[in-house]
Order: sequence, then structure tokens, then C-alpha cells
Amino acid sequence: MSEIIRTENVVKQFGSHRALDEVSISIPRGSVYGLLGPNGAGKTTLIRIINRITAPDSGRVMFDGRPLQADDVARIGYLPEERGLYKKMKVGEQVLYFAGLKGLSRHDATRRAREWFTRLGIEGWWNKRVEELSKGMAQKVQFVTTVMHRPELLIFDEPFSGFDPLNAEILKNEMLRLRNDGATIIFSTHNMASVEEVCSHITLINRGRAVVGGTLEEVRAQFGSVEERVVVRQSMSMNEIFIKAVSES
Amino acid sequence: MSKIGLVIRREYYERVRKRSFLVTTLLTPLLMVALIVGVGWMSTKGSSEAKIIEVVDASGLVADRLESVGTITYRPSTRSLDEIRADHGGTWGALVIGADILTRSDDVQLYTWSSSTLETEMAIARAISDILENEKLKTYDIENLDRILADVRTSVTLKAFKVDGESGEEKESSSALSMILAYAFGFIMYMFVLLYGVQVMQGVIEEKNSKVLEVVVSSVRPFELMMGKIVGIACVAVTQFAIWVAVLAVGGMVAVNAFVPADLMSAAQGMAGTGVAGMTPEMMAAAGGNFDPDRVVALGSLMDAGYLGRMLAVFVVYFAGGYLLYAAAFAAVGSAVDNVQDSQQFQMPVTLPIIFGMIGMISAMNDPNGALAFWLSIIPFTSPMVMVARIPYGVPGWELALSVALLVAAFVVMVWLAGKIYRVGIFMYGKKPGFRELAKWITYR
Repeated sequence: MSEIIRTENVVKQFGSHRALDEVSISIPRGSVYGLLGPNGAGKTTLIRIINRITAPDSGRVMFDGRPLQADDVARIGYLPEERGLYKKMKVGEQVLYFAGLKGLSRHDATRRAREWFTRLGIEGWWNKRVEELSKGMAQKVQFVTTVMHRPELLIFDEPFSGFDPLNAEILKNEMLRLRNDGATIIFSTHNMASVEEVCSHITLINRGRAVVGGTLEEVRAQFGSVEERVVVRQSMSMNEIFIKAVSES
Repeated sequence: MSKIGLVIRREYYERVRKRSFLVTTLLTPLLMVALIVGVGWMSTKGSSEAKIIEVVDASGLVADRLESVGTITYRPSTRSLDEIRADHGGTWGALVIGADILTRSDDVQLYTWSSSTLETEMAIARAISDILENEKLKTYDIENLDRILADVRTSVTLKAFKVDGESGEEKESSSALSMILAYAFGFIMYMFVLLYGVQVMQGVIEEKNSKVLEVVVSSVRPFELMMGKIVGIACVAVTQFAIWVAVLAVGGMVAVNAFVPADLMSAAQGMAGTGVAGMTPEMMAAAGGNFDPDRVVALGSLMDAGYLGRMLAVFVVYFAGGYLLYAAAFAAVGSAVDNVQDSQQFQMPVTLPIIFGMIGMISAMNDPNGALAFWLSIIPFTSPMVMVARIPYGVPGWELALSVALLVAAFVVMVWLAGKIYRVGIFMYGKKPGFRELAKWITYR
């Protein structure tokens, strides 16, 4: 399986705080890659570096086998943890604006946006201002802006927060559908149940270091003790692995 | 469309489409006109109240010769002051002149029943002085005194020419027009730089607050986003300015046609035809006829497209430079803080030079070639306001070139610095940074 993103010894320093310390991860194409870690571990900084929002102090990021370039951001879609849209702008205008920034023509963007709006059942919102929408509604619009340009790499930071269970399910199914269509997904969350449900690979970051990584099976094998597996015939839950890995590192 | 083009377009349309933009753009000139007309109307209204003054003249020299002027009406009286005070219905005041007024010129008293104004008192004193001077002249027994007095009465009208140091060309100049233009240009510059600079800052803070920045910056480089915002808002300012110029031009033409006499108009048109510079004093005299030459020059200059075009060109250059300089600084301030309240501390060093430039502009109007005006029009932070105020009076080419070059250098440095601060600042939440911290951000990779 080829890799779409590889970080090589990425270091990022803010003043005296080392946010990322020699982080090397490899994200296979077509995977749903869980990026886990406690608050302040450096996940968002790593995501920002992959998005070219900030540059690493040292180390490099390879995209599709070559160093990540400015133009590559058109092939990435990013849903940040802190959602944000222009409040005074109309929903349709906003979606077209973000699509334009990702290089989509106005014509294509309009067509695809209409498709997405229909699929998510939000056709009637086109001319509404964002400030008129509820938080959950705004999240749907934000999701559309993230995926509209059909990026090969999707980065979702806590995508389900703020959604009711029904809409969270819709969103999860859309994510998996995008994966089935060939997209790679980086998925950062604290919700371990959803990690076990959708992720094929994970990396656990703690205090700026990647402490555990691999496929779910590999991570389980690394952490689940022999006795447990023999006696209970059940591996540790992701939750337990998370707590154990963080406390040990 | 390029990314920066999209950012510019968004910033522009989001602002221009707002109803508040339409309202302020159309209302501001209306308000200004209303203010000028209103103040003018009230000042005529205020003095139009008839002032009837009963004159009790013991000398018998003054009362009959006082001529009513404007709103002041003199009425010689045979009553005594006490009688008038007891019954002063319909009068504004009483003027009491002593018997020996010729030798004791301080023996004049004005009693009024409502408050008096300095202007009225001076008018009365002047009228009495004139009568007494004539009276004293008469005592010298000069033949044909009245004719002589009429003959010596002279009113000087001054024509001002500015001699260009390099070409030796004489230019008719209107100081009144220069002053009006200096004030208008300087003030509009001040207003635009401050108003739109603050809009840039608010825009940055709003983006930061709504957390939309992270999404945008994942598609656009922070520097492109900052410049897009600055340029987009500049386009809004230019749109507004263009609308105002158009409104003024149309309004001015209507006013000129309605209020300016036809022969003054043709004199000014003759001047505009040859250009202000091409007008010789003789032509001026011929064209100007019996009009106040300053008015002809002023009107002619206004109709001379070349002259106005040059003024506007200089204004636009300095607006571009000054706005870029300050808007970049405001963008950096906006990026460093989370809300408008926190921005006060950083706004100070940015707004202070603008206010200083405003003060410099007023001093430049009084003394356009003085040391203060010169230096403030060379230093980039104040030059946009001060130089546009000096331009109508004429500025040597090298000063203009030096000033523009320094301004360009300053905004390039400022945009670079602001870009560095902005890039880091937009992702800093919570903690309010100090100046030392800002300086540190500049060195971040």
C-alpha cells in the first residue's frame, strides 16, 4: 500500500515549548488514520504542518512521494476542531468562496455544492446567512466546504463534536463513503469508540512525540497482555490502550 | 481567479453590498452640504434680527448722520435715557453720546435690553469714529473736502503669482482655493487612513474570533490573506471616494450654473482654456474684468482638468502609500489580539502618528514651506496627510520624489513586518502578548 503522507523527524518549537519532537509517521493511501493523544499533545500542530499552515523548524513532510508543496493544499481538505465560517456571509456564497480558494471553477463548484446540499438535505439554506444557522447546521455546511473539491487527503479534527447522534451517523457514513471512493482520511479525536469503529491505523502522540503507531491490530498486539488474551479472549479496548500508553510514555 | 483575487473580491463585495456602505456613502456628502448650508443659514438668520437703537445725542453731531447698516437701525431720540429705560418697547438698545464727544471720544455708552455682541459693538464704534473723523477734518477748512474724501477712498485687490523656481514661469495662484483643497485633501486622507485602517483591524479580529482563519489559511498563505484583505478594503475606500468626487463634480456644476454670474464664468473659462500657468497678468486683467481676481483664479483652477487631475493623482499616490503603511500596521495589531478591547494598547502607537499628521497638516496650511511642514511631509508616517495639504501650494519636485520614495520604502518594510506578526498572531488565542512578544514573533520561522 503506497503512502500519501510521510513526516520525517518533524520538529516544531514555540519559544521554550517543544510542540513536536522528531515526529515521523507514515499514512497509507486509502486508510482511515486515527491521530490520538491527550489535549496539548501536539496533534493540531502536526495537522497544521501537514496543511502547510505552519512550517516545521526541521524535518520534512512528503506528499505522494515528494516534498509537500504549496499547490498540494488543493488536494487536501481540512475540517479544523475550531469550526469557523464567515457569519455574515450567505451559505452558498461561502461554499463557493472556499471551493474557489481550493481551485475549483465557479461553475463546477456550484454544481457540486448543489449535489452535496441535496445529499445532506440542506438545499433550502443556500441564501441563509451563517449566523441564522444552528451550530449543527453550520457544521454540515463546514463539512461540505471541506469535501467539495474532492481532496485525496481529508483531515477531520473532532468531526463529530456538536452533532446529535443521528447527524453524527450521517457524517460517519459520508466519511466512509469518501474513503471507499479512494480518499485517505486523517481522523483526530478523543472518542475511542469511533476510533475502533472506523480507523484502520492509528498514531498516539504524547508530549510532542509519536509514542505508539501502526494498524489497529498491531497496536492491540503491542499492548494487550498475553494473559488477558488467553483468559478473556479479548484485546484491550482503545480506551485502555490510550490511558496505558499515555501514562507509560 | 487567483486566490488573492478571490480574497480581494470577497472583502470588497461583502462590504460594498452592505446597506450601511450605501447609507454612509450617500449620506456623508449630504450631511456635509447640510452642515455648510445650515451653518451659513443660521449665521445669516442669527444677525437678521432687527436691532433698533435709540440715539440720545447731547453733542448733536452724530445722531443724524448715523446710517443704518445691515440689521442695525439708528433712531435719533429726544427722550432722556431714564425715559427710554422706563419704556423701551420695540427697541434693542439705547446709545448715549456725550456733549463733548469731539474732545472726549470715550464718552459713549450703549445700553441694551438683551445681550449684545462684539460684532455689533464694533460696528457702532466704527460708525461713530467715521463721523467724528470727518467732523474733525472739516475743522481744517479744506476746500472740496467731500470730493477729496471720495477720491482717496481706495480698495486694494491683490493678485498673487507664484514664480516657479526652475522654469521661471509665473503662475496665478489662489490662496483661498489652495487652502480649501489642502484642508479637504488632508482631512479626507486622515479620515480614510484611520477609518479604513481600523476596518482592516476589525476584519482580522472578526476572522480570528469566528475561527474561520484556520480554514482559510489551509488554502491561502497568511500573507496573501492579509494583503487580500488590505487591498479589498482599499478598493472599498476608492469606490467611496470616486462616488464622492462624482457627487461633488455634479453638485459643483449645478451650483456654478445656478449661482455664478455668466461673465465671471466666461472669464474663468477663458483661463481654464489656456491653463492656469499660461495666463499672463494682462490676460487676467482682460478676462477678469471687474471681478475679484482670486475668485476668477479659483474658479478657473477648478475648471482646469489638468490642475485638478494633478492634485487627484498626488492624492491617490499618497493614499495608496499611507493606507498600505497603516493598514498593514492595523492588520498586525488585529492579529495579535482576541477582541477590539484588547487592541487599545497596540492601537496607540499606530494612531498617534496619524493624529500627529493631522496636526502637521494644519500647520502646513498656515506655513506650507516651514520647517515643520517640510519634515512632516518627508517622514513617511505623517507625509500622506501633510504632503497632500502642501501640494495645492506647490512643492518642489525633489521633495515630492524623496517623500514618495521614503513612503514606498516604509510601507514595504511595514507590510513585511506585519506579515511576520500576522502569521503567528492569528493562531495565538487567550494570552494577550506584550510588545516584546510581538518582536519575538517576527523572528519565528
